Amino acid sequence: MTKEELKKLNVAKTVDARGTACPGPLLEAKKAVGTIKSGDIMEVLSADEGTKSDLPKWCAKQGHEYLGTIEESGFFKVFMKKK
Amino acid sequence: MEQKKMCLALYTGSVDKLTAAGVILGGAAADDMKVDIYVLLQGARAFRKDIGDDETKLNMAENPEMKAEFMQSLKNLKVKTWVEFFKEAKEITDVKIHICGLAGKVWGGTKLDDFIDLADDICGIGAYITCAQEADVNLFI
Repeated sequence: MTKEELKKLNVAKTVDARGTACPGPLLEAKKAVGTIKSGDIMEVLSADEGTKSDLPKWCAKQGHEYLGTIEESGFFKVFMKKK
Repeated sequence: MEQKKMCLALYTGSVDKLTAAGVILGGAAADDMKVDIYVLLQGARAFRKDIGDDETKLNMAENPEMKAEFMQSLKNLKVKTWVEFFKEAKEITDVKIHICGLAGKVWGGTKLDDFIDLADDICGIGAYITCAQEADVNLFI
């Protein structure tokens, strides 16, 4: 998805994991995905560089759809759709 | 998807390595792995009720002279203590913690109640070998 498409997504859940270090963002995502419905979009905010590659791989393993990442200043947003 | 298994032989009782083990457990929990931890010699000391994550009672495995800086840096980064990491992993996925019977005795612990409440049972080495033979991921820390 392009950055513009990602920005237009109807996000059901935002997980702000910017205050945590690895593996915090991954675990925050893991906990939060259980609270949303199948097909819902979730965005995870993280300032931990490792999360940028961890979350897409985690999505692939768990069966969720990784949609893309937007870089912001000092953090990034990772978008995914729950299976 | 079949649940993957991790078998961790936790020999260390040092705060730096226990923290690393905690981070790895977090990753395993995110992947819904089934984890069995076998707490061996030095590890059993850290699991004693009077020690746990009281870092003043734990040493560093490496760079011992830099312990104060290391602990401060973890604090600044809001990294959980090793006990908090282990506890969180147990809440998320199937983690069983087995204390080696011999290791327990070395540090004066003979029953489950002598160890922090994260421990599930006291076991013999045969249980570890069986687990290691069956696991997808084997670690010795």
